Amino acid sequence: MNSRLPEMLHCLNSTTSENCEMSVLERQRSRLKQQEQLTHHHPPIPYFNGNDHLAYSGFHGDQALSDLVLNGGAMKPDPGVEHDDFRRFMNYGTGTTDFQMSCALPRTVSCPPYVAAASVDSAAGKESCKKRKAHNLKIAAEEKKMKGCAEEESKITEQNSNSKSTTTTISTSANKNNKGPSANAKKASDAPKTDYIHVRARRGQATDSHSLAERVRREKISERMKYLQDLVPGCNKVTGKAGMLDEIINYVQSLQRQVEFLSMKLAAINPRLDFDIENYILKEMFPACPPAMEPDHSHLQFNTSVEEVSGSGLEMVVGPMDATLRRTISAPITVQQSFLDSSSLNQIQQVTWEDELRNLYSMEYQQGRSTPFISQQITGFLEANHVKLEM
Amino acid sequence: MAESPSVANPDANSTVSRKRRKIDPDSPTRILAETGPTRWRTQAEQQIYSSKLMGALRHIRRPDSGGHAAVRDAADRVLAISARGKTRWSRAILTNRLSLRLAHINRKHKKAAKPSAGKSRPRKPAVLQKKLPPVQSKVKVLSRLVPGCRKVSLPNLLEETTDYIAALEMQVKAMTFITGLLNAGQNFTSS
Repeated sequence: MNSRLPEMLHCLNSTTSENCEMSVLERQRSRLKQQEQLTHHHPPIPYFNGNDHLAYSGFHGDQALSDLVLNGGAMKPDPGVEHDDFRRFMNYGTGTTDFQMSCALPRTVSCPPYVAAASVDSAAGKESCKKRKAHNLKIAAEEKKMKGCAEEESKITEQNSNSKSTTTTISTSANKNNKGPSANAKKASDAPKTDYIHVRARRGQATDSHSLAERVRREKISERMKYLQDLVPGCNKVTGKAGMLDEIINYVQSLQRQVEFLSMKLAAINPRLDFDIENYILKEMFPACPPAMEPDHSHLQFNTSVEEVSGSGLEMVVGPMDATLRRTISAPITVQQSFLDSSSLNQIQQVTWEDELRNLYSMEYQQGRSTPFISQQITGFLEANHVKLEM
Repeated sequence: MAESPSVANPDANSTVSRKRRKIDPDSPTRILAETGPTRWRTQAEQQIYSSKLMGALRHIRRPDSGGHAAVRDAADRVLAISARGKTRWSRAILTNRLSLRLAHINRKHKKAAKPSAGKSRPRKPAVLQKKLPPVQSKVKVLSRLVPGCRKVSLPNLLEETTDYIAALEMQVKAMTFITGLLNAGQNFTSS
């Protein structure tokens, strides 16, 4: 199956789909390979997931098929076209996959990626099997969009369907019935031979379509509850929706209360910095001038409850910060005060500002906050200015 | 989360790559990298949030209002901004603020006490109180907790909740960090 992946890659390249999808696919594929190594799951499943992602990345928000989507597959989000729910759903999976790639960290284990939880970690094997089957048919159904790859995908889905148990075919075939027998469905039914028969049998039964739609919905909900379970501590002990919802509600409330409490703390700290800020905003530090020992002033500049005096004041703040930064790195709390020279000098300092900020911040985190608090102060203020410079 | 020691170096990379991605609007990597609840767990995200929050705190008028409400609002607003509008709750936070502000302005000008849209909707009279199943009532409570998710279906609500919880956790972490910074700075000067 590994050989198929470059084929699909090539195939997708040749299709009318955009170039961006390729990178997504590449990423997903590499992520899948990582997953394989990490989880040692049995072979077809990761490939299947890979196919999911491949298929989804080519998907362009076909409304009829949007309801079919259960899990977070890899999707290129198309904000103008897609369902809200669908897009976010897709974003879930793609976010995790691409995120992993971009950060170049094997995060498949650490973070609870939507797809990984659903697909690789098949603790609820049957359920995930069902989903994979549903994906199977979705992939097949999306052949319509990916013209060049129709054969490839159908072959893959065929292989996958053959490797799966037959119990799962029911839901998927019924799904297809639900969403209307378009050319897609017919094509999908043609491709996997084992499913074809079940589709036939199911078409006449209208009531089952409801129950199957219900099942799809329930699977969606339970999957997201599982995701939440990973997120909320202490949810593992409780079973059942009501208990878990209770836990979730309590957790959200406690988090909000924490934020409230912290904001009170911050508000208590801020007004205490009741200095004459303007003096420091308007002054600029020169390294040539003799240093002056003014510890409280330096502290002031780091604690940013200062009102912006003006637009130029912003730049001026950067200037003094830069000098104080250098100064405080070398010697503790020596702040130079001098008068503002020109805004051009500020801008030059701004340019170097960014790099220093970044270096400091990374250094700060590297040492796990064990650096002297002075540099902490610096980084704290640096971040603020860093954002300004970004914007 | 075994991220902190190893994130330091890729931290710079991720921020740099984040910038690079901003330049190229067509690539999906930008969108994909920043969606999904796991993005809240990165150090980079916390860094961005703390810096924005510090900037926002500076803009708070000092003597105004009950200090902590303003700080809380600023923190929530910055959090919603960091979400980049990809989630419903973040958009709701930002729009609520707008509507509140408009209402405030209207009140100032017209002196008509017109309540803002989402605030004082008349409650259902308790004549026909159908006892909802416990799950449903809890879902309602949860939907009230997450901003802007009152009429959202359950699967979407759960998705929003996931992202919201991740964002809140990051917010708490960042605010704790900032508070620690300011406290430490203050202690240093006072001593």
